[in-house]
Amino acid sequence: MAHAVIDEPKGHMGLPLPNGKVAMWLFLVTEVMFFTGLIGVYLLLRNGQPGNLWPTPKQVHLLEWVGAMNTFVLICSSLTVVLAHWAIGRGRVRQATVFVAVTLALGAVFLVVKAFEYNSKYQHDILPGHIGEVLPPKNDEGKVTGQPSVQTQRLFGPTEQQYAERVREQLQKITKDGGHGGLSDATVKGCRELLTDMEEGTEKIDDKTTKYKPGLSPAEVGERVNKLLNEAEGRKESLHLSPTIPFGNLWASCYFVMTGFHALHVLGGLVVFAVILLMALFGKLGVQHTLTLELTGLYWHFVDIVWIFLFPLLYLV
Amino acid sequence: MTDNHDAEAHGGHGMQPYLVVFGALSIFTAVSFMAYEWTPRNVSFLIILIVAVVKAVLVGIYFMHLKQDWGKVFFMIIPCFILAMLLVVVLLPDIVLAWHY
Repeated sequence: MAHAVIDEPKGHMGLPLPNGKVAMWLFLVTEVMFFTGLIGVYLLLRNGQPGNLWPTPKQVHLLEWVGAMNTFVLICSSLTVVLAHWAIGRGRVRQATVFVAVTLALGAVFLVVKAFEYNSKYQHDILPGHIGEVLPPKNDEGKVTGQPSVQTQRLFGPTEQQYAERVREQLQKITKDGGHGGLSDATVKGCRELLTDMEEGTEKIDDKTTKYKPGLSPAEVGERVNKLLNEAEGRKESLHLSPTIPFGNLWASCYFVMTGFHALHVLGGLVVFAVILLMALFGKLGVQHTLTLELTGLYWHFVDIVWIFLFPLLYLV
Repeated sequence: MTDNHDAEAHGGHGMQPYLVVFGALSIFTAVSFMAYEWTPRNVSFLIILIVAVVKAVLVGIYFMHLKQDWGKVFFMIIPCFILAMLLVVVLLPDIVLAWHY
């Protein structure tokens, strides 16, 4: 008795993809989780703060146009790396080498700009743990109405004392030698007055009466420091005092972790591009490396996509 | 396992698709910067977020060749994005909704 038998389709081992591509995509997926951990938590922390107290780009000396320029640099490098893959697939090894070299150069430009930005943060002492957090409350007219709340003083107490001590050392350095280093007399005078006011002591009222003069609280120190910094900025002077920015330390921690890990990833990509260029230099690069370039490109595009999200989150929103 | 990239690399298209996508990415970068400068905050936030997603999708589809490879790799990418969303949602109650000082 004859009967029709349906043949099952023949199974094939594995995916219809090169092993390297499967591996690279799996790796990129883990990297997505890694950066989601950082960026996702940043979003949560940012939106979790009460009121509208998160530092603005101006407060933390972020220049939006620099971030936009860096975004454009990475987009250009994504173009050149995909063109390198396109060229090498067509046997144009020399053209591919040029594209890889341009990608490496653009990646280096990105890192150099990042280094300048980090230096700016260092110069303004916008570093985790260095920033004062607490300002005295103000009314609608901007007049200080009292001390910070008991809760904020309890929470930030020891940290704010460390901040006040750091500011004291900075003021002593500024006023030590009569204020050279491009600072005007008005700025140095303001620093000297703040240093004096920070010391607790006594005030002579008349021949028989002295009055106790308490030192400034860390919140008051922070407010005076911010005022000095604004005035110095108005005179285009570079005054090295630690600012007071509510949630500034949290912002700085997030900023350096996210951009630092991203920069490390960029550096890793540049190392691979350098190796490819060395291979080309010794005449070892050929059409057989098309997949190598494609996989390197996949990694580089991922790094670009991460920056596409980091830039607006840190600089614009 | 054939090298699909070979077929694609030796395919007919020139540089043009990549250059067009590059142009679009540059324009979108300018759009988000201008939205930040010239529109109110809640509007600019939405524009910037949408533009970022569109740029990421363009890079993924055209530069990362997901246009050709999506059917072969989506099963790795989709769960990852679900987990990423869940990570944020799971932390939301403790860090955002209940946090105070």
